[in-house]
Amino acid sequence: MTHAATTHKTDAEPDFTVPELAVRAVTVRFAGLVALDAVSFSVAPGSIHAVIGPNGAGKSTCFNVLSGVYRAERGTVHLGDRELTGLPPHRIAALGVARTFQNIVLTQGTVADNLMLGRHALTRAGFTATALHLPSAVREQHRHRERAREIAEFLDLGAVFDQPVTLLPYGVRKRVEMARALCMEPKVLLLDEPVAGMNADERLRTAEAITAVRDGLGISIVLVEHDMGLIMRLADEVTVLDFGRRIAGGTPDEVRQDPAVVRAYLGAGDDGDNSGNGRNGDNGDARENEERQ
Amino acid sequence: MSDRLAALLRPAALGTLAGLVVLAALPFYLTDFWLLTGLFAMAAALGAIGLNLLSGTTGQLSLGHSFFLAVGAYGYIWFAGDDGRSGTHDVTGLGLPTPIALVAAVLLAGVMGGLFSPISGRLRGMYLGVATLALVFIGEHVMNNATTVTGGYNGRAAEPMTFFGFTLTDREPHLEVLGIEFGAYERLWYLALVLLVVGVVVARNLLRGRPGRALGAVRDSEIAAAVMGVPVARYRSAAFVVSSMYAGLAGVLLALVFGRVIPDYFGLALSIDYLAMIVIGGLGSVGGAVAGAAFVTVLPQLFAHYAGALPLVTATGTDGIGPQEASRYLYGAAIVLVLLFSPGGLAGLARRTAAPRRRAAGHGATSRPRTKEPQGADT
Repeated sequence: MTHAATTHKTDAEPDFTVPELAVRAVTVRFAGLVALDAVSFSVAPGSIHAVIGPNGAGKSTCFNVLSGVYRAERGTVHLGDRELTGLPPHRIAALGVARTFQNIVLTQGTVADNLMLGRHALTRAGFTATALHLPSAVREQHRHRERAREIAEFLDLGAVFDQPVTLLPYGVRKRVEMARALCMEPKVLLLDEPVAGMNADERLRTAEAITAVRDGLGISIVLVEHDMGLIMRLADEVTVLDFGRRIAGGTPDEVRQDPAVVRAYLGAGDDGDNSGNGRNGDNGDARENEERQ
Repeated sequence: MSDRLAALLRPAALGTLAGLVVLAALPFYLTDFWLLTGLFAMAAALGAIGLNLLSGTTGQLSLGHSFFLAVGAYGYIWFAGDDGRSGTHDVTGLGLPTPIALVAAVLLAGVMGGLFSPISGRLRGMYLGVATLALVFIGEHVMNNATTVTGGYNGRAAEPMTFFGFTLTDREPHLEVLGIEFGAYERLWYLALVLLVVGVVVARNLLRGRPGRALGAVRDSEIAAAVMGVPVARYRSAAFVVSSMYAGLAGVLLALVFGRVIPDYFGLALSIDYLAMIVIGGLGSVGGAVAGAAFVTVLPQLFAHYAGALPLVTATGTDGIGPQEASRYLYGAAIVLVLLFSPGGLAGLARRTAAPRRRAAGHGATSRPRTKEPQGADT
């Protein structure tokens, strides 16, 4: 599962060092509603960083700011020395920030078509070269298709590579989205609820895939998830949001014991049952997931 | 090299080749009426491919396609025409060699499409559709009033296409091939065929390559496309430019076939016709656009021609349903039938008839999940 790491250098840009992702005092407001209120955290290179919080806490807003879909009213996001705040989404993507969506957003066509879309910023062929079928465009397409196939196999999608995505089951489509993000050769991968709606088996496979991506490619991963079991197992660091504010942060163990977190996220009153127990958190979140669907 | 040979011997490639041979042979068998219909169909096919790139692939509704057709047609007439008189109006022209005028007209249409991009970049869906409507009205006004370019209400003649002294007219030089006299329509037929083949190949290449994937992503979700690194605004306007260039080429061809272009032709109804072509053909499919264009252009003529032979149809001018009316009913019914039974249009129909054969032949052997394909999902 790690062979993608060895061939990684062939296509990626020459400087592949993963810089720190720093979020500093980011505020986002929607018509008076404060979605994010001076939120700060940083993602160490090559780490898995989870952003958690109850529904409406601002997790998805946070992702939308990181990927440039929303503009921060105040505050900055830096990837290494580069400031991301204010850049349009496609520029941020080209700098090495890839993301998936909470509800799957794939385009029509085959798995290969979707993965090749992920190669967009890494490829050059324009309208003229493609229309005239120039050798440069053909070669480029061929080369990147090979790389896309490698990534597909890395995520166990090799067998469905040429199939239309509309024919694939939910869990597989979710994995296609992750593969598409990986096709961008990102330095930071943002995963928005990668296991939502999956069964236990699919969750396990996705968790393994996430670890393999981190270990194999050495990239940073930011994770929004409701599945506490997954977070406790995978995350190096956790940031907890509630009503747009960062209420806690630290290692999973530290966060688990933080009284503010227990109160806000796991529910006040029955903290005796819930604190420190990933399973119960898991169940609670399964309920939340159902509510959302 | 053997790969190439194998690729040429595939059933699909052989079918295309056979189709081309038939199309190339048709001028030897068809009467002028059917040649004219075929020429209209080929011009319409080019226009439909363009609209399909814009509306089918990129998801931008345009009711202004006839405007860009008009730009191509009048652009060619002006670039190729000379100063002189047309009817009651003085007209001007650049007098360029006709092949250069053709290219210039296509480029002009592209530029007009690009000029519209500040508007097309800000509007979506129905709103964009209504905004493009304005182009049709502005176009009609300009065509009727810019008489030095267009010749006004009664139109202006188009310079016949000339390649190094060989004109696409009935004479100059007199030409006879295998005992068939090659007049203007026969000669134009081959020009149209070459342009259509080039147009299809270019559109196919675009759709299968990097730009096509980006345009499809823009249609399915602009946010997802942007996050994947696609500069959405640039691609949206690029789709407009390419689509307008196809329309411009179709316009030039129409000008050559008509011989004389009048403003009335480029109304809203023409735009709607093109939308009908791409919906009937199948959104997002190049072959579908061509098939849809043939459907919309040829079928009414076919019905009109043979409706007289139908039972219960009376002679023109007498009581009852005449051939004209009967052909309209049949044409309407044909549209409804295609859309009812094949939401993916003619392209969807072709895919579905081809799919079982391919599976039987052992292709697509990878295990297919048993989920049923949603209708029209891959259009």
